[in-house]
Amino acid sequence: MKFMKYLSLALVVMMSGTAISQDANEGKEDRKPGHYNENRFKQLYEEFSTPNVYRTASGAPGPQYYQQQADYKMDLRLDDKNARLYGNETITYTNNSPDVLEYLWVQLDQNVRAADSKSPLIEGSGATPADLAGNFVGQYMGAPFDGGFKIQEVKDTNGRDLPNIINQTMMRVEMPKDLKPGEKFSFSIKWWYNIPDHTIDRARSGYEVFEDGNRGYVIAQFYPRMAVYNDVEGWQNSQFWGRDEFALPFGNFDVNITVPADHTLDATGKLLNRKEVFSKTMMQRYEKAKKEYTTPVQIVTEEEAEAASKGFSTATKTWKFRAENVRDYGIATSRRYMWDMMAVKVGSREVMAVSVYPPEGNPLWSDWSTKVVASTLKSYSRMTFDYPYHKAISVHAKNQGMEYPMICWNYGRPDKEGNYSERTKYGMMSVIIHEVGHNYFPMIVNSDERQWTWMDEGLTTFVQYIAEQDFGEAYPDAIAPNKKYPSRRGPAKNIVDYMSGDQDYLAPIMTKGLNTYNFGANAYSKPATGLNILRETIMGRELFDYAFKTYSQRWMFKHPTPEDFFRTMEDASAVDLDWFWRSWFYTTDYTDIGVKEVKKFYVTSKMNKEVREMITRRGMKESDLPPLVYLVEEDSEDFEESMRTASLDDVSTLQEYIMDNIPESERANLKKPKYFYEVTFEKPGGIPMPIIAEYTYSDGSTKRVTYPPQIWRKNDESVGKVVASDMEITKIMVDPDEETADIDTSNNSWPKRKKLGEFDTFKNKVKGQ
Amino acid sequence: MKFLKLSILALLFPLLTAATAHKFYVSITKIEYVAEKESLQIITKIFIDDIEDALQARYDESLSLDSEKITERDLAFLKQYIFQKIEIRVNKNPVTFSYIGQEYETDIVKIYLEVEGISEVKTLEVTNEVLMEMFEEQQNIIHYKFGDSRRSLVLEKEYPKGMLNFN
Repeated sequence: MKFMKYLSLALVVMMSGTAISQDANEGKEDRKPGHYNENRFKQLYEEFSTPNVYRTASGAPGPQYYQQQADYKMDLRLDDKNARLYGNETITYTNNSPDVLEYLWVQLDQNVRAADSKSPLIEGSGATPADLAGNFVGQYMGAPFDGGFKIQEVKDTNGRDLPNIINQTMMRVEMPKDLKPGEKFSFSIKWWYNIPDHTIDRARSGYEVFEDGNRGYVIAQFYPRMAVYNDVEGWQNSQFWGRDEFALPFGNFDVNITVPADHTLDATGKLLNRKEVFSKTMMQRYEKAKKEYTTPVQIVTEEEAEAASKGFSTATKTWKFRAENVRDYGIATSRRYMWDMMAVKVGSREVMAVSVYPPEGNPLWSDWSTKVVASTLKSYSRMTFDYPYHKAISVHAKNQGMEYPMICWNYGRPDKEGNYSERTKYGMMSVIIHEVGHNYFPMIVNSDERQWTWMDEGLTTFVQYIAEQDFGEAYPDAIAPNKKYPSRRGPAKNIVDYMSGDQDYLAPIMTKGLNTYNFGANAYSKPATGLNILRETIMGRELFDYAFKTYSQRWMFKHPTPEDFFRTMEDASAVDLDWFWRSWFYTTDYTDIGVKEVKKFYVTSKMNKEVREMITRRGMKESDLPPLVYLVEEDSEDFEESMRTASLDDVSTLQEYIMDNIPESERANLKKPKYFYEVTFEKPGGIPMPIIAEYTYSDGSTKRVTYPPQIWRKNDESVGKVVASDMEITKIMVDPDEETADIDTSNNSWPKRKKLGEFDTFKNKVKGQ
Repeated sequence: MKFLKLSILALLFPLLTAATAHKFYVSITKIEYVAEKESLQIITKIFIDDIEDALQARYDESLSLDSEKITERDLAFLKQYIFQKIEIRVNKNPVTFSYIGQEYETDIVKIYLEVEGISEVKTLEVTNEVLMEMFEEQQNIIHYKFGDSRRSLVLEKEYPKGMLNFN
């Protein structure tokens, strides 16, 4: 519309007027040195690996993408009396890479607990002036726990010993000849180890001793297992120091587990000999459970578990499993375990939701565990892909929270009378959701946890928030009297405390987990919150969900890297996200956006000072100019009181233009804004978030305008916007719903409102009581 | 010494599980100096189940922090514990803080404390031994804020006391 063109011309004249005067003022300063491209919207070409035939620029597996395969045939025997596990395995390793492999690396995670483990050595310590006698004995006098794998044999298929060397938690096995592309190599290992009491040193697996002396086993990391070889790291043989988790190849497992005959056992994979290990009653209950979709069916009841606990069978049973396309293996076994199951439809698939728990977990576990498992599968599947395995198990273990394919350990224990607090209940539900969710990330979308903790923890925690909300909606009784599930991580404002902290103690997300401070916030909450901000604010749910699903499906049963995730999200949505990855993942920048000032302008046809100065400078006359519309600032010398009550009808140049150029029929349709504001937004924080501005008008109505993040592309510190309005603007609020993790909201309102801080709000509340 | 402390920080816990909720033993204490009010506003956030365990072990098994309606006796124990475990010195002099109150947020209890009559902060020394007698790896993080400047301390069993110098 031509009117707008003239209006903007006037603005240009006005603006450039100011710019010119600025240039004149710039004195002779020292010349600044040259610089790199430091723009916050710079694409991440330099940070990302160059796309290649293994991983495309799109973020998808490339035409020559490969991954290795490790198949295991295992015979295991549990010595319940001495808490030992004996094992014998044959590993068949397939080299699908185009490279010739000279040696293989095998992971020995139990060695982190060996008596001579170096893990305690990387902890700093100071001498304390005094110590408890017990601690002193444990530290300096006692024998340390005899953990670690006792490797008895490493042999090839002909029974010949294979040379090997153990470097802490990694063993290098020398093959008789190099392994060429496409070839397979089989070898066997015989070992045993002392299973640790996981409640003492909080290991990820081991046993717990119940009051009656029986043990509840949650066994994992129990076998020497292959390390990952890939196009990004070569061999991922970074040592296991205890914090960063695991990088593992996919493969097929055939496992025979021999345990006392009175144990209840469940593990990764399909149970092949159910009729041999189940009683008739259990078989009947199992058949019932397969058709039960609402209420779990007890396969082993509390009474049966209590009865079994009184004995200690010397007879044994061997449970036989086959698991296909899994990256790891977990086993839960105890004579004290109860067992329940329920069927759940996930897309077109039938999956069993299973819970294994001692009576100590009741009534909480009988009531909720399996229902939470079932709901979690539906939520995560909706966001990614239909759960591809046939079952998902939640095992109750004291103080645990750890994931394995198809099986996980979770805490949440009521007191001896069976009472539990809200906290315990929500803690248990949240951890089950999180650990079952891990089946998706990293068990199936198999990222390298040793290097990038956030890729599985951040993504799992992000979807956990959605799954928690879903669960609350599906089971309002479970969360009553809360109307929504009280999620701890997810909303943007919950991450503000972390992000506004002392920069010396902050590390970017893209840092190896071992080396970060405040690990939980860094690897779990911050990436999860970032994804939530993308979903709710930057991309919107539709674009985000499609891209997230694309990523999940591209990389299911494969090994993605961070770039694959970053590239896919942008590739599938057409939303430029490099600025977001850069600030949220690669730096410790924070968000702080506010309103710096607001100037009021009035429209007149009388020439203002800026233009007068400009034409004088150029030796022009007023008659040289086309008809202009002038904007006069309220505080300037050109302002006249009469302008306040004037309207656009009083601006002669405007009226003349309209009469001459706009047909009479359309004149009535013209808008007639009365109020003109120049709003200057400022950005003291680094992250260029979109400006979500809510304008409140004199009649109480509000309007929200979201200025995309690119508004900051040329002006990193502050940027202005001219706003025309029919009604007077009485208030402007930036980020009213706290969506951007703004660490300082004191500059978010105009007129400036001193918001009472957290402390004063509470103090006033207490005083008022 | 500083390197040692940083290396401790760098390696939080050797055997962290992949849990959602806190399998890390951390408390956060925010201290803000409000010059106009001459006061230090302190909010310390502690995991409820950990401090409840500590108080039960220390005073009485039946102690409960669980409901919004905490008994007078249990509240007295909580205050006693806090006063014993947290100590603050401003400009080298010990100061007393008053207990404003507490509130609950999912699995955390927020305890509000205030020190009044502080005209200036040249040095701030904080000792925070909350939960250290229960958990070897407890870390109590202190965030100090004054205007735009922020400083932090990470206190743990071997070094439960830290000092910030603003001279």
